[in-house]
Amino acid sequence: MNGVAVSDAIAVDDTVSLLRESIERYMSSEHCTFERRWAALKSSRGYNERAWSDYASFGWLALRLPEEMGGLGADSHAVAPLMEAVGARLLLEPILASAIVGTGLVLRRANAAQRARLLPKLAEGSLKLALAHHETLNAFADDELACEYRQGALYGSKLAALHADCADKLIVSARDTSTYGPVGLYLVDAGAPGLHVDAFRLLDGRGAANLHFDAVVAEPLDAPGSRDASRAALAVALEEATVALCREALGAIRALNAATLAYVKTRKQFGRAIGANQALQHRLVETYVLEQEVRAMTLAAERALDAGAADAGAAGAVGAGVAGAGAAGAPGPATNAERMRIISGARAFICDAARRVAAEAVQMHGGIGVSDELDVSHYYRRVMVIGTLFGNREFHFTRFSELGG
Amino acid sequence: MLDRLYSRALALAASPHAMWVMAAISFAESSFFPLPPDILHKSSQHLMLTKEEYVRWMRSLQSRGWGVGHWPREYGGLAWSALERFVFEDELGRAGCPWVIPFGVKYVGPVIYTFGTEQQKRRFLAPIVSTDEWWAQGYSEPGAGSDLAGLRTAAERDGDYYIVNGQKCWTTYAQWADWMFCLVRTSRDERVQNGISFLLIDLRSPGVVVNPVRTMDMCHHVNEVWLDNVRVPVENRVGEEGGGWKLAKFLLVNERTYGSGVGESCFALGRLKALAAEMSCGVRSLGEHAAFRRRIDELELRVLVLETVSYQVLTDMLSGREAGAEASMLKIRASEVYQDLIEATVDALGYAGVAYDPQTLHGEGPPLLGPSDAGGILRYHLYNRAATIYGGSTEIQRNIIAKSVLGLPS
Repeated sequence: MNGVAVSDAIAVDDTVSLLRESIERYMSSEHCTFERRWAALKSSRGYNERAWSDYASFGWLALRLPEEMGGLGADSHAVAPLMEAVGARLLLEPILASAIVGTGLVLRRANAAQRARLLPKLAEGSLKLALAHHETLNAFADDELACEYRQGALYGSKLAALHADCADKLIVSARDTSTYGPVGLYLVDAGAPGLHVDAFRLLDGRGAANLHFDAVVAEPLDAPGSRDASRAALAVALEEATVALCREALGAIRALNAATLAYVKTRKQFGRAIGANQALQHRLVETYVLEQEVRAMTLAAERALDAGAADAGAAGAVGAGVAGAGAAGAPGPATNAERMRIISGARAFICDAARRVAAEAVQMHGGIGVSDELDVSHYYRRVMVIGTLFGNREFHFTRFSELGG
Repeated sequence: MLDRLYSRALALAASPHAMWVMAAISFAESSFFPLPPDILHKSSQHLMLTKEEYVRWMRSLQSRGWGVGHWPREYGGLAWSALERFVFEDELGRAGCPWVIPFGVKYVGPVIYTFGTEQQKRRFLAPIVSTDEWWAQGYSEPGAGSDLAGLRTAAERDGDYYIVNGQKCWTTYAQWADWMFCLVRTSRDERVQNGISFLLIDLRSPGVVVNPVRTMDMCHHVNEVWLDNVRVPVENRVGEEGGGWKLAKFLLVNERTYGSGVGESCFALGRLKALAAEMSCGVRSLGEHAAFRRRIDELELRVLVLETVSYQVLTDMLSGREAGAEASMLKIRASEVYQDLIEATVDALGYAGVAYDPQTLHGEGPPLLGPSDAGGILRYHLYNRAATIYGGSTEIQRNIIAKSVLGLPS
């Protein structure tokens, strides 16, 4: 699909411009075609290992790293174009799981030795991370973890951890009332004894796994911080994932709308292009308006996230900028509640909007829209997955509602 | 169950068929119902059925005469009224049964006994009744979807044969079919509807190639069928040469009617409610969350409206008050309600609503995640996106109502 724009910059510096250019160049290259994606989908791994090294060589996997480590310093300006490409091109590699969420947690909670060990490997693509957090099918809150950390080992289960099927190491959230407060974050080797990995594919072809921990040796991510630092860092990581998914959805929506528009202009029935029918024109206008709304809400969510990070940085407590964090020096809860409300509101709206755009794309494509051969059905399935990962519409809408007034 | 019988009896009180309806209900729910339990299990979980299972299912219906209950008695049917037929389908849907494979008993069978020659009736009807021959529908083409009359598959006369060339698409179960009824162009005319003929094509003829096409659920239901110089005896044409459009429309109306899917929606609603009660969401069940509860309630109201409108249409039909496009109206509403119901069900599954492996949909092995029917629900949700496209898309149904009922200009 052509016309994928990733130029939503508010204020872009040179490094980020270069990143955008490299993403746009890659998306229009022969390495990023639907045919190549088919081959990756059919492979046992479910993604393209060569593509993953390409991403590393473009610097995409290092974009969250501090500049002194060859990164871009990681605010949403850098993450946005990459996540938009993930949606626009239905990328299968663990960008969200590893380069955004996993790397973010390492940056916030790994101690100096862990950072020195993990970050260079993350940047060069030789280490993939996945977050194992959710424990039930339908509850996305992080307050009641059953998974437990006792005397250096993990016990319990995690559900549907994105890309835990291919990750080299997992970051696991678990309860440890003795040392790290109600939530600690632990690093586990994918091949550790006692770890049972039940891998499967999500509807959009990306991998995931259910995990069972039976006395699995784990290493706490234990940068100095308050007792609540890991809980706060996890909350920030989930917010970042939420906002990244908004951007991914925008990429998918733009691609779908472009495809549908092109199709109704060329598909002829009853002697004219089907797009000549006013009944379809009005619906295309509706999906266009949805796209504009989604773009605006995505940008607002990204601003809210950046403002939270800036406040947290100014307060000298990285990762504390989350409601309920309770860390000394964190911004007032009202400010944070407002930010969370924008982010969850954006997410709830975008889940719905993306679903409507995808349904309209299928419907207006007719029979070919429900075939597995055309990418439209792949976007439809991707949108379903986006709508559930790290909190579905019900969850975010409820949070939006509870944070109101 | 008694509640339902009571409300149905009230709904149908005005109908002389009410007694029959009550009898049908008790039949469907009694242990005399001959439905094979293994098939019911699979179909209620939206798993993929094999051809053998479908054949067994159709034969189990026909063991009571229900497979062709709507046919005239002279051809082996029970001469059901529209109401009886509707109630029958409704009951099957409520019980989570497989669909009645329509291509023979609903589509081509009635065309043959209405328009066919005696010889055609003798040759083709009995194997339809017994499901000894499987039929496919050769209507859509790559360039002829909504605009069916724009079809290009050509049949040229060569003595006692037609030589057929062209391509059909979205042909459901052509991989299992022995025969395909097929719309072909036998002449070019200014009015595209003229010059279309209705042929019965033996799919084992030389020159027929059936290629699988996977749908959004990543499963194989439909096919493209290539016809390359396929020789079809002239005696396999139903109706006049060039008069096929009338038959095509007769069949399309049959396709839309009696398929309002009320029963299927009731089944889906029941599953949605049960699932919402069994899925935990924090300390409460999902169904106890106000927002989701309201979503279910609104869907339940829409199902009630669909059911009520369906019976109103039938009551009106029985008293000769038809506006003319009721089938289109019901198809629009039923397909939309069902899509929304199953979408809510997928949402209720949470993460189990996005874990998917088409290999697990044949009934063997444990589910990937969540309840045992999670994969099937997801599969059916995906496949069912086609419900607003096949059999005349929602857009085409609206055009039909706009023109034939409202008299709006084209």
